Amino acid sequence: MADDFYLRYYVGHKGKFGHEFLEFEFNKDGRLRYANNSNYKNDEIITREAYVGQSVIEELKRIVEDSEILKEDDNNWPAPDRVGRQELEVVQGGQHISFTCTKLGSVLQVQNSKDPDGLRIFYYLVQDLKCFVFSLISAHFKIQPIQR
Amino acid sequence: MADDMHEDDDRMQGLDKKKKGRGHRDTTDWADRYGGARFKELDPSAKPGPTASVEGWVVFVTGINEEAQEEDIHEAFADFGEVKNIYMNLDRQTGFVKGYALVEYKAFKEAQTAINEMNGKELLNQTISVDFAFRKPQQRRR
Repeated sequence: MADDFYLRYYVGHKGKFGHEFLEFEFNKDGRLRYANNSNYKNDEIITREAYVGQSVIEELKRIVEDSEILKEDDNNWPAPDRVGRQELEVVQGGQHISFTCTKLGSVLQVQNSKDPDGLRIFYYLVQDLKCFVFSLISAHFKIQPIQR
Repeated sequence: MADDMHEDDDRMQGLDKKKKGRGHRDTTDWADRYGGARFKELDPSAKPGPTASVEGWVVFVTGINEEAQEEDIHEAFADFGEVKNIYMNLDRQTGFVKGYALVEYKAFKEAQTAINEMNGKELLNQTISVDFAFRKPQQRRR
């Protein structure tokens, strides 16, 4: 099933304001789900769902493929810890990756890791994916996703 | 079952996909994070086909030249109606245009005309694709 597709990203931590997180997913039908839970300013979880066209999914696939994240492995990435947790799950091109990592604060942290090349790909892909989703959510719902 | 993310196991784990990553064997239970919250749609009863956004109709443009400016997009798309908004992101590593943009019109007709006129056209020496960004799927699978 080479045309199967799924993408999910999660970033979050548990702390003073409870479990704060951002999560989004796309399935191959174009269903986009977006959730943002920040207890700091408003204590209610933001959840939105929309269906995007095939061209949006194709562009997302291109971004993932061009990043070459599917060639990487999370073996040597800093594991999720008290600082936080990131998860990137992708089904694409007959592969199914489910990577985890702690929150990354800076490029310096990437450089000093055991797998700077792989982690750099993850670091920038995640930012590109967030931009992609934030623009879609902003345009469709006119809510301002919280950048974190 | 709560309306949370994560595809059903049988869909995700079947077949002969090559699996990689710690997430596959990580059993940390974060499943409670939605507290049963539902995902809000703008118009759950919308029929299959293009769907309106809160303030208009959004078209999705791909194949954009990496050196394009927002003004280039505006200029190309203003012929079909007033462009209310443009979202065009940069590649976070290179700083060049990532290759896609969202262009927002007030009226359906403007968006439809932009799609009809601009899809497959050349912009800054690259062929662009233009389509509605949001639509309902052919069938609901719930």
